[in-house]
Amino acid sequence: MLLIHCPYCDEPRPEIEFGYAGEAHIARPINPDDLSDAEWETYLFVRTNARGRHFERWRHVHGCGRFFNAVRDTVTDTFERTYKAGVARPGEADSWTGDTGGIV
Amino acid sequence: MADALLADEPVVRDGIAIAWTPPAVRYSLRTRVPSGLPRLLASARFADGHALALGPDEWLLILPDGAQPPTIAPLHALTDIGHRNVGLTVAGDRAAALIQCGCALDLSLATFPPGKVTRTLYDGVEIVLWRTGEAEFRIETWRSFAAYLHAALALAADDL
Repeated sequence: MLLIHCPYCDEPRPEIEFGYAGEAHIARPINPDDLSDAEWETYLFVRTNARGRHFERWRHVHGCGRFFNAVRDTVTDTFERTYKAGVARPGEADSWTGDTGGIV
Repeated sequence: MADALLADEPVVRDGIAIAWTPPAVRYSLRTRVPSGLPRLLASARFADGHALALGPDEWLLILPDGAQPPTIAPLHALTDIGHRNVGLTVAGDRAAALIQCGCALDLSLATFPPGKVTRTLYDGVEIVLWRTGEAEFRIETWRSFAAYLHAALALAADDL
Protein backbone atom coordinates (compact mmCIF):
# COMPACT_ATOMS: atom_id res chain seq x y z
CA MET A 1 0.00 0.00 0.00
CA LEU A 2 1.18 3.51 -0.80
CA LEU A 3 1.60 6.05 1.92
CA ILE A 4 0.48 9.52 0.86
CA HIS A 5 1.51 12.57 2.85
CA CYS A 6 -1.56 14.71 3.58
CA PRO A 7 -0.40 18.35 3.69
CA TYR A 8 -3.21 19.26 6.11
CA CYS A 9 -2.84 16.36 8.57
CA ASP A 10 0.93 16.69 7.94
CA GLU A 11 1.60 12.98 8.24
CA PRO A 12 1.75 9.99 5.90
CA ARG A 13 -1.55 8.18 5.61
CA PRO A 14 -2.62 4.96 3.89
CA GLU A 15 -3.61 5.21 0.26
CA ILE A 16 -7.13 3.81 0.88
CA GLU A 17 -8.08 6.98 2.77
CA PHE A 18 -7.66 9.05 -0.40
CA GLY A 19 -9.63 9.67 -3.55
CA TYR A 20 -8.19 10.75 -6.89
CA ALA A 21 -9.75 13.89 -8.35
CA GLY A 22 -8.22 14.48 -11.77
CA GLU A 23 -5.57 16.84 -13.07
CA ALA A 24 -4.69 19.88 -10.93
CA HIS A 25 -4.33 23.54 -11.80
CA ILE A 26 -7.13 23.68 -14.37
CA ALA A 27 -8.80 27.03 -13.80
CA ARG A 28 -12.40 27.47 -14.87
CA PRO A 29 -12.58 30.26 -17.46
CA ILE A 30 -13.77 33.52 -15.89
CA ASN A 31 -16.27 34.10 -18.67
CA PRO A 32 -17.32 30.88 -20.44
CA ASP A 33 -19.59 32.82 -22.83
CA ASP A 34 -16.51 34.37 -24.47
CA LEU A 35 -15.03 30.98 -25.37
CA SER A 36 -15.33 29.23 -28.69
CA ASP A 37 -16.66 25.68 -28.73
CA ALA A 38 -13.12 24.39 -29.29
CA GLU A 39 -11.76 26.32 -26.31
CA TRP A 40 -14.60 25.11 -24.11
CA GLU A 41 -14.00 21.55 -25.24
CA THR A 42 -10.33 21.95 -24.34
CA TYR A 43 -11.23 23.19 -20.87
CA LEU A 44 -13.69 20.38 -20.29
CA PHE A 45 -11.96 17.37 -21.80
CA VAL A 46 -8.37 17.87 -22.91
CA ARG A 47 -5.86 16.81 -20.28
CA THR A 48 -2.08 16.49 -20.14
CA ASN A 49 -2.12 12.69 -19.89
CA ALA A 50 1.51 12.93 -18.80
CA ARG A 51 3.88 10.03 -18.97
CA GLY A 52 5.95 10.76 -15.91
CA ARG A 53 5.58 13.77 -13.67
CA HIS A 54 1.91 14.65 -13.29
CA PHE A 55 0.17 17.37 -11.27
CA GLU A 56 -3.05 16.05 -9.86
CA ARG A 57 -5.73 16.66 -7.26
CA TRP A 58 -6.38 14.27 -4.45
CA ARG A 59 -8.85 14.34 -1.61
CA HIS A 60 -8.26 12.96 1.87
CA VAL A 61 -11.84 11.79 1.78
CA HIS A 62 -11.67 9.31 4.69
CA GLY A 63 -9.53 11.66 6.77
CA CYS A 64 -9.58 15.43 7.08
CA GLY A 65 -11.76 15.72 3.97
CA ARG A 66 -9.52 18.26 2.25
CA PHE A 67 -8.60 18.54 -1.40
CA PHE A 68 -4.89 19.01 -2.06
CA ASN A 69 -2.47 18.73 -4.96
CA ALA A 70 0.24 16.19 -5.58
CA VAL A 71 3.08 15.62 -8.01
CA ARG A 72 3.11 11.95 -8.90
CA ASP A 73 5.12 10.04 -11.46
CA THR A 74 2.61 8.11 -13.56
CA VAL A 75 5.27 5.58 -14.58
CA THR A 76 6.66 4.65 -11.18
CA ASP A 77 3.61 5.71 -9.12
CA THR A 78 5.99 7.62 -6.84
CA PHE A 79 4.63 10.67 -5.06
CA GLU A 80 7.24 13.39 -5.42
CA ARG A 81 5.45 15.79 -3.10
CA THR A 82 2.04 16.96 -1.97
CA TYR A 83 1.01 20.53 -1.27
CA LYS A 84 -2.04 22.45 -0.15
CA ALA A 85 -4.70 23.58 -2.59
CA GLY A 86 -4.14 27.16 -3.71
CA VAL A 87 -0.35 26.93 -3.67
CA ALA A 88 1.38 27.61 -7.01
CA ARG A 89 2.52 24.49 -8.76
CA PRO A 90 6.15 23.60 -8.17
CA GLY A 91 8.49 23.21 -11.15
CA GLU A 92 7.61 22.48 -14.74
CA ALA A 93 4.99 19.95 -15.72
CA ASP A 94 5.90 16.86 -17.69
CA SER A 95 9.64 17.20 -17.16
CA TRP A 96 10.07 13.45 -16.99
CA THR A 97 13.65 12.44 -17.66
CA GLY A 98 13.05 8.87 -18.73
CA ASP A 99 14.19 7.41 -15.41
CA THR A 100 11.63 4.80 -14.44
CA GLY A 101 13.37 3.93 -11.19
CA GLY A 102 13.82 0.37 -12.37
CA ILE A 103 10.10 -0.14 -12.99
CA VAL A 104 9.14 -0.79 -16.62
CA MET B 1 -27.86 0.69 23.17
CA ALA B 2 -31.54 0.32 22.43
CA ASP B 3 -31.15 -0.38 18.73
CA ALA B 4 -32.77 -3.69 17.82
CA LEU B 5 -30.19 -4.36 15.13
CA LEU B 6 -27.26 -4.14 17.51
CA ALA B 7 -26.35 -6.76 20.09
CA ASP B 8 -26.32 -5.42 23.64
CA GLU B 9 -23.76 -7.79 25.06
CA PRO B 10 -20.19 -6.52 25.34
CA VAL B 11 -17.66 -8.71 23.55
CA VAL B 12 -14.94 -9.76 26.00
CA ARG B 13 -11.88 -11.69 24.90
CA ASP B 14 -8.39 -12.04 26.32
CA GLY B 15 -7.13 -8.47 26.65
CA ILE B 16 -10.04 -6.99 24.67
CA ALA B 17 -13.45 -5.59 25.61
CA ILE B 18 -15.78 -4.16 22.96
CA ALA B 19 -18.88 -2.32 24.15
CA TRP B 20 -21.38 0.24 22.89
CA THR B 21 -21.07 3.67 24.42
CA PRO B 22 -23.98 5.11 26.41
CA PRO B 23 -26.26 7.55 24.55
CA ALA B 24 -24.67 10.94 23.86
CA VAL B 25 -25.41 14.19 22.08
CA ARG B 26 -23.26 14.69 18.99
CA TYR B 27 -22.75 17.75 16.86
CA SER B 28 -20.77 18.40 13.73
CA LEU B 29 -19.20 21.84 14.08
CA ARG B 30 -17.76 23.71 11.11
CA THR B 31 -16.06 27.04 11.68
CA ARG B 32 -13.09 29.10 10.52
CA VAL B 33 -12.78 30.65 14.00
CA PRO B 34 -11.22 27.82 16.03
CA SER B 35 -10.88 29.70 19.33
CA GLY B 36 -11.13 27.33 22.28
CA LEU B 37 -11.09 24.30 20.00
CA PRO B 38 -8.35 21.68 19.63
CA ARG B 39 -5.97 21.63 16.69
CA LEU B 40 -6.31 19.13 13.84
CA LEU B 41 -6.06 15.48 14.99
CA ALA B 42 -6.31 16.46 18.67
CA SER B 43 -9.12 16.35 21.22
CA ALA B 44 -9.97 18.54 24.18
CA ARG B 45 -12.58 19.02 26.87
CA PHE B 46 -15.41 21.18 25.58
CA ALA B 47 -18.72 22.21 27.16
CA ASP B 48 -19.07 19.22 29.59
CA GLY B 49 -17.99 16.87 26.81
CA HIS B 50 -15.26 16.65 24.20
CA ALA B 51 -14.38 18.30 20.93
CA LEU B 52 -12.54 16.16 18.40
CA ALA B 53 -10.78 17.92 15.52
CA LEU B 54 -11.38 15.91 12.34
CA GLY B 55 -10.39 18.51 9.74
CA PRO B 56 -8.87 22.00 9.56
CA ASP B 57 -12.33 23.51 10.07
CA GLU B 58 -14.35 20.51 11.24
CA TRP B 59 -14.96 19.24 14.77
CA LEU B 60 -17.05 16.45 16.21
CA LEU B 61 -18.59 17.41 19.55
CA ILE B 62 -19.58 14.56 21.88
CA LEU B 63 -21.60 15.86 24.81
CA PRO B 64 -23.47 14.11 27.64
CA ASP B 65 -26.96 12.82 26.91
CA GLY B 66 -29.50 15.63 27.14
CA ALA B 67 -26.98 18.45 26.77
CA GLN B 68 -28.11 21.70 25.21
CA PRO B 69 -26.38 23.08 22.10
CA PRO B 70 -23.11 24.72 23.22
CA THR B 71 -22.39 28.40 22.86
CA ILE B 72 -19.85 28.99 20.10
CA ALA B 73 -18.31 32.11 18.57
CA PRO B 74 -20.20 33.54 15.60
CA LEU B 75 -19.68 32.35 12.04
CA HIS B 76 -20.14 28.64 12.54
CA ALA B 77 -22.39 25.81 11.42
CA LEU B 78 -23.59 23.39 14.09
CA THR B 79 -25.46 20.29 12.96
CA ASP B 80 -27.02 17.71 15.25
CA ILE B 81 -25.76 14.31 14.07
CA GLY B 82 -26.81 12.37 17.18
CA HIS B 83 -29.23 10.25 15.15
CA ARG B 84 -26.50 9.32 12.67
CA ASN B 85 -23.63 8.20 14.87
CA VAL B 86 -23.11 5.36 17.27
CA GLY B 87 -20.07 4.83 19.44
CA LEU B 88 -18.03 1.82 20.49
CA THR B 89 -15.32 1.51 23.08
CA VAL B 90 -12.48 -0.91 22.54
CA ALA B 91 -10.39 -1.37 25.68
CA GLY B 92 -7.72 -3.70 26.95
CA ASP B 93 -4.07 -4.55 26.48
CA ARG B 94 -4.68 -5.79 22.96
CA ALA B 95 -7.11 -3.06 21.89
CA ALA B 96 -4.59 -1.45 19.54
CA ALA B 97 -3.69 -4.82 18.05
CA LEU B 98 -7.37 -5.52 17.43
CA ILE B 99 -8.00 -2.21 15.66
CA GLN B 100 -4.81 -2.73 13.71
CA CYS B 101 -6.48 -5.82 12.19
CA GLY B 102 -8.66 -3.62 9.99
CA CYS B 103 -7.00 -0.23 10.08
CA ALA B 104 -3.86 0.74 8.17
CA LEU B 105 -2.78 3.55 10.50
CA ASP B 106 0.24 3.18 12.75
CA LEU B 107 -1.32 2.93 16.22
CA SER B 108 1.93 2.81 18.19
CA LEU B 109 2.00 5.19 21.15
CA ALA B 110 4.68 7.32 19.47
CA THR B 111 2.56 8.17 16.43
CA PHE B 112 -0.92 7.77 17.89
CA PRO B 113 -0.72 8.93 21.53
CA PRO B 114 -3.71 9.19 23.86
CA GLY B 115 -5.90 12.14 22.91
CA LYS B 116 -5.23 11.83 19.20
CA VAL B 117 -8.25 11.46 16.97
CA THR B 118 -8.76 11.04 13.25
CA ARG B 119 -11.24 9.90 10.68
CA THR B 120 -10.05 6.73 8.97
CA LEU B 121 -11.25 3.36 7.72
CA TYR B 122 -11.73 0.06 9.52
CA ASP B 123 -12.28 -2.84 7.14
CA GLY B 124 -13.83 -0.51 4.57
CA VAL B 125 -16.07 1.28 7.08
CA GLU B 126 -15.46 4.96 7.71
CA ILE B 127 -14.84 5.53 11.41
CA VAL B 128 -13.66 8.24 13.75
CA LEU B 129 -10.89 6.70 15.83
CA TRP B 130 -10.11 8.38 19.13
CA ARG B 131 -7.48 7.11 21.53
CA THR B 132 -8.86 7.92 24.96
CA GLY B 133 -6.12 6.10 26.87
CA GLU B 134 -3.03 4.01 26.30
CA ALA B 135 -5.16 0.88 26.05
CA GLU B 136 -8.53 2.44 25.30
CA PHE B 137 -10.13 3.63 22.07
CA ARG B 138 -13.47 5.11 21.18
CA ILE B 139 -14.81 4.50 17.68
CA GLU B 140 -17.64 6.56 16.21
CA THR B 141 -19.33 5.35 13.08
CA TRP B 142 -22.53 5.80 11.14
CA ARG B 143 -25.50 3.83 12.43
CA SER B 144 -25.96 1.92 9.19
CA PHE B 145 -22.37 0.63 9.39
CA ALA B 146 -22.46 -0.17 13.09
CA ALA B 147 -23.74 -3.74 13.01
CA TYR B 148 -21.16 -4.70 10.40
CA LEU B 149 -18.35 -2.92 12.20
CA HIS B 150 -19.24 -4.61 15.48
CA ALA B 151 -19.33 -8.01 13.80
CA ALA B 152 -15.99 -7.35 12.08
CA LEU B 153 -14.37 -6.33 15.37
CA ALA B 154 -15.82 -9.33 17.20
CA LEU B 155 -14.60 -11.67 14.47
CA ALA B 156 -11.12 -10.15 14.56
CA ALA B 157 -11.12 -10.48 18.36
CA ASP B 158 -11.91 -14.19 18.02
CA ASP B 159 -8.98 -14.68 15.68
CA LEU B 160 -6.43 -12.47 17.41
